[in-house]
Amino acid sequence: MTTLRAFTCDDLFRFNNINLDPLTETYGIPFYLQYLAHWPEYFIVAEAPGGELMGYRWCCADAVFTVMGKAEGSVAREEWHGHVTALSVAPEFQRLGLAAKLVELLEEISEKKGGFFVDLFVRVSNQVAVNMYKQLGYSVYRTVLEYYSASSGEPDEDAYDKYLFMVNMRKALSRDAEKKSIIPLPHPVRPEDIE
Amino acid sequence: MAARGHVQDPNDRRLRPIYDYLDNGNNKMAIQQADKLLKKHKDLHCAKVLKAIGLQRTGKQDEAYALAQEVAALEPTDDNSLQALTILYREMHRPELVTKLYEAAVKKVPNSEEYHSHLFMAYARVGEYKKMQQAGMALYKIVPKNPYYFWSVMSLIMQSISAQDENLSKTMFLPLAERMVEKMVKEDKIEAEAEVELYYMILERLEKYKEALDVVRGKLGEKLTSELQSRENKCMAMYKKLCRWPECNALSRRLLLKNSDDWQFYITYFDSVFQLIDESWTPPPEEEHSLEGEVHYSIEQAVKFIEERITEESKSSRPLRGPYLAKLELIRRLRYRGCNDEYKLGDPEELMFQYFRKFGDKPCCFTDLKVFVDLLPSSQYTKFISQLLAVIPLSAAAEGELALPSDIKALQQHLCVVQLSRLLGIYHAMEKKQKLAAVRELMLRYRHGLEFGKSCLKTELQFSDYYCLLAVHLLLDLWLEGEETAVWQCLTLLEEGLSHSPSNAQFKLLLIRIYCRLGAFEPVAELYSSLDAKHIQHDTIGYLLTRYAEALGHYAAASQSCNFALRFFHSNQKDTSEYIIQAYKYGAFEKIPEFIAFRNRLNSSLHFAQVRTERMLLDLLLEANISTSLEESIKSMSLSPEEDDIPWNDLRDNRDLTVLFNWDPKDRDISEEHKKLSLEEETMWLRIRSLTLRLVSGLPTLSHTIQPKNSEKTAENGVSSKIDTIRSLLQQLEVAVDSGKKFLEQKIQYPVLGPPPTRMAGFFSNGSCQCQTSLFYLVSDIYELDTNGLEDSAEIQERIGNSFNSLVERLTDLFNKCKGDLIEVRDGTLKTHPSLLENLVFFVETISIALWVSSYCDSVLRPFKSNMQKKKKKKKESSLAMPPVFTHFLDYVAELQTLTSNVIDHIRGLEIILSALKLEELSLKDTLLLEEEKKFTKTVQGKVQSSYHHSVQEIGELLKKRLDTIKKLKI
Repeated sequence: MTTLRAFTCDDLFRFNNINLDPLTETYGIPFYLQYLAHWPEYFIVAEAPGGELMGYRWCCADAVFTVMGKAEGSVAREEWHGHVTALSVAPEFQRLGLAAKLVELLEEISEKKGGFFVDLFVRVSNQVAVNMYKQLGYSVYRTVLEYYSASSGEPDEDAYDKYLFMVNMRKALSRDAEKKSIIPLPHPVRPEDIE
Repeated sequence: MAARGHVQDPNDRRLRPIYDYLDNGNNKMAIQQADKLLKKHKDLHCAKVLKAIGLQRTGKQDEAYALAQEVAALEPTDDNSLQALTILYREMHRPELVTKLYEAAVKKVPNSEEYHSHLFMAYARVGEYKKMQQAGMALYKIVPKNPYYFWSVMSLIMQSISAQDENLSKTMFLPLAERMVEKMVKEDKIEAEAEVELYYMILERLEKYKEALDVVRGKLGEKLTSELQSRENKCMAMYKKLCRWPECNALSRRLLLKNSDDWQFYITYFDSVFQLIDESWTPPPEEEHSLEGEVHYSIEQAVKFIEERITEESKSSRPLRGPYLAKLELIRRLRYRGCNDEYKLGDPEELMFQYFRKFGDKPCCFTDLKVFVDLLPSSQYTKFISQLLAVIPLSAAAEGELALPSDIKALQQHLCVVQLSRLLGIYHAMEKKQKLAAVRELMLRYRHGLEFGKSCLKTELQFSDYYCLLAVHLLLDLWLEGEETAVWQCLTLLEEGLSHSPSNAQFKLLLIRIYCRLGAFEPVAELYSSLDAKHIQHDTIGYLLTRYAEALGHYAAASQSCNFALRFFHSNQKDTSEYIIQAYKYGAFEKIPEFIAFRNRLNSSLHFAQVRTERMLLDLLLEANISTSLEESIKSMSLSPEEDDIPWNDLRDNRDLTVLFNWDPKDRDISEEHKKLSLEEETMWLRIRSLTLRLVSGLPTLSHTIQPKNSEKTAENGVSSKIDTIRSLLQQLEVAVDSGKKFLEQKIQYPVLGPPPTRMAGFFSNGSCQCQTSLFYLVSDIYELDTNGLEDSAEIQERIGNSFNSLVERLTDLFNKCKGDLIEVRDGTLKTHPSLLENLVFFVETISIALWVSSYCDSVLRPFKSNMQKKKKKKKESSLAMPPVFTHFLDYVAELQTLTSNVIDHIRGLEIILSALKLEELSLKDTLLLEEEKKFTKTVQGKVQSSYHHSVQEIGELLKKRLDTIKKLKI
């Protein structure tokens, strides 16, 4: 029971209940604006009815979740695809199957755009998410090695001992009838090899 | 910027090393390399520009600018120079110079698509809409590509948005834009979805809703595919504007059939049904009901429709909350219209009970039901709660023990009931004893619930966290009712909660609020930083820090938090411009006005204005006349008393005042009225602070009369207008203070978790306000003395003398308001007096202003004195008496010195007491506390003690530095 609509700049002022969650990153303004300028249709927010009843109308509402995504890749090489960039659900509204619904939406948009598949990255350590995506029909396409320095959170080439593994998961869309796009790669790749 | 395609060009090869140096941040080498290259190739302009970039980045702005202008004057047309200059100007924050650059370039190369498009973007960056329109058309003439044409159209819309005159916008810009698009439509040249979106945008702004609807529903509308339900949403918006309720109804009905969980369509569905009933609408005979199909126009149909949604839901694999809540919404609307139970929808109490049975184990159940509790009669509250409790599977280990949930689902259900109880005011109505018992029970449940979260990661919340939060809320109630120890229990329980659930932002936020209220800022800094709040959050929740850091004497932390916020706000301008341009490139036209509105919202943020002002006041407080002179400090901030850069009428309150959860009943909750009042209060306080800053910044401007007095008064015109400015600011300050006082007379009590009150009340009640205004009046008197000279100014001198005396009295009073212990142990419990800290901070600020004014006074008296000494020597007359103002001043300075020393002694005393206070030995008599809780209580009290220590230390340090400056004032 939510209202789905396009994310607008004003939502940035009210997404604290989602973004104070430790796993949800608050990005700089450019990050959001870039998505809004380029892929506004992929940036969706959901609201729950709440707050005051003003006269006879609903007014203010709590943002429940957001999803950001984009479409990229070459069509000729059959790499044109939708990408789930960030998906966050406020703690109160977790465990309602909302994430699944959002991913479905993103797939629907990507279908319409003629994408071959939808993909996303998720930390190996985030098993909850990996399992959820598996349930939604995603499979591991490749593993990505990433070096993160624990201190700054920025990629740090010297900290080779601090490997983090990410998995790149994919789900084929109807345009890729033979499901060629999701055949897993045999070896892990480095982040610089990802296009 | 280094990568460039055509390697053949020898210049590219020559420039490459410089690009590389710049890219790697090696600016010095870049400059050297550029110099080397310029020796051989004098005309390689780009090398100059790259050198200028190096200079700019090493802080040599003036040289960089001069060099850039040298090249710009040649009106370069080579790619390298143009791009490098663009980068340089952007780094200089002079985007308007880029437009000049490309204006010259397109004049020289009129057919360049590239330069014209750069020119368009350069205009876009500075918002030159009219020129954008022309540049877009010029581009289209060179290369007839659709996007260029529509850039031009969009520029017209921007002109209409920015036009002050709404009439002009509706009669000129928009119709012109409409005609431009119509032309393309007629010629069948519309290609992209963005172009249709733009057309729709124009028609909507022209309020041509019918036409807009036709576009969306017509052939062009077929292009609207990217966004989900783009056409439906747009149609719906237009139906609403046109009050076409049959269509609204039919469309929302259809969309609900597709997705019976999308709340917005239920609202439209209900709105339209009742509109149609009120209009006694009946379907046209033998025709379709509406453009969108079948219409519901009676309550019976609506009831049936909702019931059907519920039946459908029961077949769905994923449980949907929408249909059930829609039923409650329908009941609410029927009641509002005076219908009772004639439609047999059922009893809301029973329906909510059923809802609870179905969704009670979901964390959102409370939020959902919260919306409908006003359907319950208050007499039924207790019954309703017990009814819910009765169906939760709880079991007690033994007779007489608390019945506890045996799994997460049961816990979740129970939590929902507890939250509802709080919302219905059941806890509020309890006696103190009952409340304490309830706290005990909630904590027991909290600790028991931790069992279910043993495998939770650090980043996850514990399932039972809300029990702890609710217990704290109850304790907060008790504290506000006067139960002093309750506040320590709040902190204790929250610290305990945080130790089990280290990522819980609500624990942290509540700890922050409570520590701040107790005057302890030290733990707050750490808590806040662990929230990892950044970027826009500086604007939305930064107030949690900035309200208290400086006020409690944590100057370093205050500086830091202001700096973080300012860095965010300053980058906003540049960042948003970049994406406005991207939006043109990608044809996201509807985002352009949105981005601009967003930029404005940030630029006119209340918090931005506050941190700007407070940061400057703080810098002056910490530095002026200590490390640098007041005059230099003010100059380096480019402050001037005449300038006011705060958009008073458009201040936007971007604070997130509901970031802290609460479950209070509506009448105790934070209301829109509170938010409005808080904004009003913040604005008043900001006005006082901003005027104070401007008044202080005016002090050095008065000191130019140091030159010996000539009869030529004309030369002083500049200065006399400065004093006029000061006097007018002083008058404005009086007005601001008056309205502040009037505001406070209302004695507004914000909810404890609502907006924090400003420092204004303290400023008035401790007397700093009076001191500070008197000080600025004194400035005016001293100025008068300065212009009149020592002779014939007996009356002014006396006035100044009196001011000195009364100031000393007032400052002493202010000091008296700082006296007392910060922490005392009374009856085995700890009591804190944080207002003493705030008063001390005000004292330091006020004495600093007093000293700045004194140094102005000193600068006026010093030349008089040396003149007199010269005269004395000449005339060798000992009879030439010292004018009274000298003695007055000397006495005054001596008094200030003594007073400041006394305060320093007092602070030292506080420090000793704080260090000597052995809280570990404090026997916590509170029988309520368990042993493990006592451990947390000690930690908490230790944190408060240490924070106070930190505060008085920083305040003391600063005051000592101020004391040193007094010694320079002995004329």
